[in-house]
Amino acid sequence: MAAADTPSAALRRRDLCSRGIRLARKMRSDVADLLDIYVEQQGLDASISVAAVEGVPVAAADRWDEQTGAQRLLDNLAAYRAFRALLAQMLEELREELGSADAALGQALAAVLLQVSAFAYHLEELLQLESRGPPAEEGSGLPAPPHLSLFEQKLRGLGVLRELAQWAVRSVRDLRQLAKHGSGSGPASGPAES
Amino acid sequence: DSRIQYERVGADVTMKCGSMDWDAAVTWTANGTDIDDSHLNGSYLILKNVDLTRSGQYSCYEGSSWHLKYQTYLKVGVPPKEPVLMCRSNNYPKGFYCSWHLPSPTYIPNSFNISVIHGTREMVCEKDIFPKNRCHIRYLQLFSTVKYKVTLTVTNALGKNSTTLTFDEFAIVKPDPPESVVAKPVPNNPRRLEVAWQNPSSWPDPESFPLKFFLRYRPLILDQWQHVELSDGTSHTITDAYAGKEYIIQVAAKDNDIGTWSDWSVAVHATPWTEEPKHLTTEVQITETTSTSTSSFMPPPTTKICDKGAG
Amino acid sequence: QNLNCVTHNLRKMVCTWDISSKRRHGQTDFCYTTDGLFLPVCFKTKEKRVEIPVPESSTTVKIITNSISGTAFATREFEIQKKDISFVPLTPRILSLRPDFSTSTLTLKWSDNGSVFPYGLDAFWQIEILRKETMEKVTQVTYYSKLTHEDNILSWNWTSDMPLECTSHYVRIRCYINVTQFVGHKDWSDWSPVEKAPGKDTEPNGSGLFPQDTVVTVGSDVTICCVHEEGRQVQRMSYGAEDYPLIYLSSRSSAIRVLNASASNASGTNIVCRASGDWMDGTVLFVGYAPDIPEDLSCETSNFVTIKCTWKPGRPSGLYGKRGTKYSLLERISGKNVSCEVNEMKKERVCGFQVLGDQRTYSFTLGVSNPVGQTEASLLVDLSQRVHPETPEKLTVSGNSSTSVRLHWFINGNFAEIRLLCQIEISNGHSEQKLHNVSIPGGQFSTYTAQVNTLHPYTKYQFRVRCSAADHFWRWSDWSRTEEHTTLEA
Repeated sequence: MAAADTPSAALRRRDLCSRGIRLARKMRSDVADLLDIYVEQQGLDASISVAAVEGVPVAAADRWDEQTGAQRLLDNLAAYRAFRALLAQMLEELREELGSADAALGQALAAVLLQVSAFAYHLEELLQLESRGPPAEEGSGLPAPPHLSLFEQKLRGLGVLRELAQWAVRSVRDLRQLAKHGSGSGPASGPAES
Repeated sequence: DSRIQYERVGADVTMKCGSMDWDAAVTWTANGTDIDDSHLNGSYLILKNVDLTRSGQYSCYEGSSWHLKYQTYLKVGVPPKEPVLMCRSNNYPKGFYCSWHLPSPTYIPNSFNISVIHGTREMVCEKDIFPKNRCHIRYLQLFSTVKYKVTLTVTNALGKNSTTLTFDEFAIVKPDPPESVVAKPVPNNPRRLEVAWQNPSSWPDPESFPLKFFLRYRPLILDQWQHVELSDGTSHTITDAYAGKEYIIQVAAKDNDIGTWSDWSVAVHATPWTEEPKHLTTEVQITETTSTSTSSFMPPPTTKICDKGAG
Repeated sequence: QNLNCVTHNLRKMVCTWDISSKRRHGQTDFCYTTDGLFLPVCFKTKEKRVEIPVPESSTTVKIITNSISGTAFATREFEIQKKDISFVPLTPRILSLRPDFSTSTLTLKWSDNGSVFPYGLDAFWQIEILRKETMEKVTQVTYYSKLTHEDNILSWNWTSDMPLECTSHYVRIRCYINVTQFVGHKDWSDWSPVEKAPGKDTEPNGSGLFPQDTVVTVGSDVTICCVHEEGRQVQRMSYGAEDYPLIYLSSRSSAIRVLNASASNASGTNIVCRASGDWMDGTVLFVGYAPDIPEDLSCETSNFVTIKCTWKPGRPSGLYGKRGTKYSLLERISGKNVSCEVNEMKKERVCGFQVLGDQRTYSFTLGVSNPVGQTEASLLVDLSQRVHPETPEKLTVSGNSSTSVRLHWFINGNFAEIRLLCQIEISNGHSEQKLHNVSIPGGQFSTYTAQVNTLHPYTKYQFRVRCSAADHFWRWSDWSRTEEHTTLEA
């Protein structure tokens, strides 16, 4: 059940949301830069389409506008925890594949990983505010990655970053809804509204 | 039975007089006017290398009895070229519309068929009554990385052509220009102008999906625009106007996070306050207006960013 | 008529003949006499084919063709000379055809059926490799062996110019035995039935690009194929950013051929295959250089605890990460081998090796390898001639007289086995600079002292010190930090 909205809680939430939006937008811009470096460094065609990648949280949402604030936070938190593990996995694979050959990509990826971790922590703070408390993290993150060929690994990385970029935009929208409506349900104009 | 016959420009056309034999005596008319015998081969009518002027009603009468033996309406045209297709979301996140036109006329009726595929889903494109060459698609899903694939097929009696667009959800988001732009002098401030405008009415939820704005202004005597980007709010005070000079002002809008800038709004004029107040004029349509055509919008580097705080 | 005799083993021959008459006939009476036999050997046969011994010189044959009722209606005699007999070895029998996908190599094994022939005959084996659904001939090779009157299993390897997964490869073999003393006609055996090494394009779920994530040398010609499901059409195959012409292999496999491949970037060159129905797959090819022989291999010790070897790697291989160049240092006297951690992006290469007790001479071999090649460099080192001490630390200057001072400094290292030569630089403000050399017995991680005399009273001096090995000079250490000291008044 969401906490009764005392003025201070509402102010605190709006502040957290506003800071969260700034963090998400910075993350989105850094992920966009990272995507450019990744595509160029991995020799990929920027327009290549990537099928849904197993284990990567999908930002696409049906009836996004009907979600409650708590649902938004929980979906976001689950996604960024998954991205934290996925990016760490990518960093490991990159080190194995490239050694020190591409520091630029490694550094950019590590920087985004930091932001994702910070954003996950920020979401936990918001959930704390909703006196719901963040759910415990399941296991030690992702299951061992399936054995992929190098090309599949490259596409998987691209899929992860593209999905993260979409999530960053969705998070901005979610936090804006949260700032407006609190953790209860929040009607926002959405796709399916008649 | 009025029959229609379509032929390509430049084609050679042969018409038989219904069931009449080749050597039967007949008379051919075009739009009621007799056709001279040079175009006849026996009772067949031969039209060489037809052009558009050849379109019309052709009738064949039996020689002596003047019975109408054959009649057709000849339409001369060309097969459709690859159509020009454009898709855009000016009411995000409700949906997007696609509109199309042919690069050159075909002079004969064409039919258009559009298919919208999102991943494995086929989406409905609801046709507008007006304008005819446009239809709307409602977003069933937001924030998707799966691309949209829109294929438009145009068919007429002489051929068929198609074009396909593939795009991301965010890429086609382009609001309509800001509306109700008003600019007025600030009493006792010879260098200030107050500009205000409204979100485009087509933008459904500015609160959840806020727009940011781009203001450009210049004195009529100069060509170089000055720009200022405003991350929120729908008004701005210009503080560096040349005293006494008439200014032209326009505004553009963009979603805070995705998509591209709108076209420039309708231009408004204003002159800063001077000792003897000047008569304020507002003109609706100025050559600067780019309301219909899509101008390639490039904010120059002299941009000043006014960020009154995020969110 | 047309009596024809062929031997497969130089001992027996198979004779066949035709019957010109159209009449229906019953059994045939076949009689032959050959050298050494007084009486003819006769037997009945329904077939127009018999097997009889190969004669030393000639054989006389009588063939009586009987009617259905058994009465003879045609008789014919033949004189078969040795030269009329043909020698055609039996069709060779392929024992196995094994594909090694990792090296794209086919290994063929077959029996030479040598026990049938006398010892020492020369045998020639023609081996044909065929490919694609159309069984196009890829190559034909002649392999030579000597028969040993025993059945030997022969083996032959062939490396394909394309991955074996790309499409099925077929092999067939025939042989020719050079029996010099056989006067009759000698010919190649029949081709063996083809043996198939199936490609992935024959497996129900076989799909993908091959080779998968492999490494080749710069300048190589590489064939990369795209195996897909039945019914799809390959539309494009790109190598890096460039589309390449498609080579049709089978209904489920197409390929491209990259000539003189240039070095790929760190993450390799992508090869992407696009087929109908929005199907896409890809692989990565790493193109790099074999490692150069290391230049300027040099080893020294700064403390008689560890030995530091350095070298110049030569041309970068262009291969990184787990495909990067690996270095290992083998010391042959002790047999000890260490692998070296190397940062590919740094120009200089360094590898550390523990000093082994009181071993003085070290025979180093630096092994260098990457997926496309390997090399090495060697160096014999007498450690005492390769001392490059660490920078002297904690320099202090003390003095209780107007013309002399006493310096103390520490050097990290175990120099107990050698003498040290240390150089003290003395300078004062009037750009007067003197070097004072002193030879000191080395110690174990100890502090050293030296006295400097003939100084001016009441004068400010700057002192610093560096050391090296006294015998067999190799390199000076770096200078210590400078210490200032003013001598007492006179």
